Amino acid sequence: MQSVVDFARGPLFAVAILVFVLGMARHVVLQVHGLITNKGRRLQRVSWLRMVRESLGWVFPVRHLVRGTVFISLTSFVFHVGALLVPLFYAGHVVLWRRFLGIGLPAVGRVAGDVLTLATCACCLFLLGFRAVVPRARQLSRFGDYLVLAMVFVSFATGFMAAHPRFNPLPWTGMYLVHILGAEVLLVAAPFTKLSHIVLFAFDRISLVHWQLRPGAGDRVAEALYGEEARV
Amino acid sequence: MSSNLVPIAEIPAPPKRRLLYHLENTSSEGKSERFLRAFAAVLHYGDYKTLLDAYSASSAKCSRCVVMCPLYQVTNDPQYIPCVRAGRLLDVYKRHFTVGGWLGSRVGARPSMTDDDVDEIADLFYRCTVCRRCSLECPMGLDHGLITRLGRYVLSMAGIAPKALQVSVREQLEGTTRNTSKVPTPALIDTLEFLGDELEGTVGAPLRFPIDQFDREYVFFCAVSDYLMEPDTLMGNAAVIHAAGDWENWTIGSGNFDGINYGLFYNDWHLERIVRRLLAEAHRLRGRKILIGECGHASRTAREFVPVFGGSEALPVVSFLEYTLEQLEKGKIQLDPDVVTERVTYHDPCNLARSGWLVEQPRQILRAFVKNFVEMEPHGRANYCCGGGGGLVSMNETQEFRMTVAGQVKADQIRRTGAQLVVAPCANCKKQLKELVAHHKIPCEVVGMHDLILRAINVPDGPSAKERQRRRAEPGAA
Repeated sequence: MQSVVDFARGPLFAVAILVFVLGMARHVVLQVHGLITNKGRRLQRVSWLRMVRESLGWVFPVRHLVRGTVFISLTSFVFHVGALLVPLFYAGHVVLWRRFLGIGLPAVGRVAGDVLTLATCACCLFLLGFRAVVPRARQLSRFGDYLVLAMVFVSFATGFMAAHPRFNPLPWTGMYLVHILGAEVLLVAAPFTKLSHIVLFAFDRISLVHWQLRPGAGDRVAEALYGEEARV
Repeated sequence: MSSNLVPIAEIPAPPKRRLLYHLENTSSEGKSERFLRAFAAVLHYGDYKTLLDAYSASSAKCSRCVVMCPLYQVTNDPQYIPCVRAGRLLDVYKRHFTVGGWLGSRVGARPSMTDDDVDEIADLFYRCTVCRRCSLECPMGLDHGLITRLGRYVLSMAGIAPKALQVSVREQLEGTTRNTSKVPTPALIDTLEFLGDELEGTVGAPLRFPIDQFDREYVFFCAVSDYLMEPDTLMGNAAVIHAAGDWENWTIGSGNFDGINYGLFYNDWHLERIVRRLLAEAHRLRGRKILIGECGHASRTAREFVPVFGGSEALPVVSFLEYTLEQLEKGKIQLDPDVVTERVTYHDPCNLARSGWLVEQPRQILRAFVKNFVEMEPHGRANYCCGGGGGLVSMNETQEFRMTVAGQVKADQIRRTGAQLVVAPCANCKKQLKELVAHHKIPCEVVGMHDLILRAINVPDGPSAKERQRRRAEPGAA
């Protein structure tokens, strides 16, 4: 069992992190490359300042508390705070980043880590319940939406229990292994699921750029489909 | 199909989807192939791939867009959920145009597109007014207006498009009259002469509209319906220009006077060609700026797409609302604040307000001469669509849909204000709102901004606004 844990903590984690970083980088590179080669000089015509300002307004989205979305917005906000801070800055994880990526991040204290983790777990359950119960959320959810959220919950919950063996009725090694493997599955799956919104949100925010259509494209499409005599 | 030994009860076939609009020539064979071929061409020659790659991987399905959509609010029907609708097109993209989709298809995870899918996409994508209210509240920033337009673009290049829009664009681009309402140029000139005579009642002398004048500051375009069916708006425009002393500074081109551009709603190819024609007419007359009358999509098309398609030959575009506000602020036009006594509210046309372009300016104009002004809730950038956006208002067969589904929230909004006048500076919105208030029996009148200005403007040499109001109220007045 210990050898399995060591394998999961060592080489397997390296692979998972590699897939995650490369996968996300691929998204970013493809987007940037696409924007530069396709839009080119048309990128200048868009108001970048305005897009940046609108994006910043979403970091603390007080203005976006529309009636009917208040619960989901607050829950999602708290969820993201914990989901970002704990994997990155929790003391147990900071060691990992230093070892595998060579980055030194500040560590957040034990108590803060516990509070954030519990808050995130609670939010996961609320969000799962929201998705399953509220009709409009149920109507647009697919299996993958539930699965990803459940996996996040499992990772955070088992991480908390691994850090607090007193609350843990199951064998510690098993809990630890589930935590590591669960997190690794998420890391590997991230670039291929909606988790890629971690990097892609920036490229959605700049949708204004995509209204800069390519001149001449329409003529060429019509000619390709209908020949020289293309008519309306 | 093998025959059954045991008789099975006849299960009626599911009802064929009743499309919201009438189609222009389609053959039913190979629809999915035609759609995919058109999609491939659009992706190859256009630059939508980057957009689709980003959107297909990043929608978090948070359901905020659903809350904003007026159609969902009225029906609670999942077919109107923006993410779900966009997902139909994105699924086709992923399955047929990405490596991941191809791999998935090898393991049977993704079915390929069928003819029924094309029909469903055609129906769903025309049940959206492209108001983009959903985009305001998407935390990712997804613009579903872009996806709806892309879907319609591919459909129309595959030969599936609403007849009403196709016929208008065909006349505008390939017909002899070069406008969407088939108005022959001599009829336009006659109409303008008639309107010029009518304006004597406002400005004190008949005006001669400057047609085909060269080297003027402004070349004017408006929705062609303003020349015939909504002349009050055009007369209001003319009165403002005359009062501001700019009568020698503008012109209307007989080669192209229709600012309408249905390409914005459903086809990038038409969009570009119509914009280029507009710009070419402005250049033919050696004008320095393009002035757009009261039409939401015409204003937005010119403002956003003249720079895109005109490049270095683009001219600055000015909306008439901006022009009038400028004249008002300079003190060049006088509006009598005692003429419009009714309670007035303002409808924000999606194409003017959603991007934040013209939100405060029309209100500043109204506050200059309207004492009893109320805002509807919500107003400004987050205001609701009239229900006729995205070209739907031009398709008569969608009337019931527009009255009972798409425009229901708007009707309730208007009723709640208790207003007697609704100002809507957009030709399409006016048409839709007039039908809406009649259908829902709301006791109010729908007018354009310059219709109201025509009532209140005081031109030094002409009869005063109060005098004109008195004449209008006389029994037997025209």
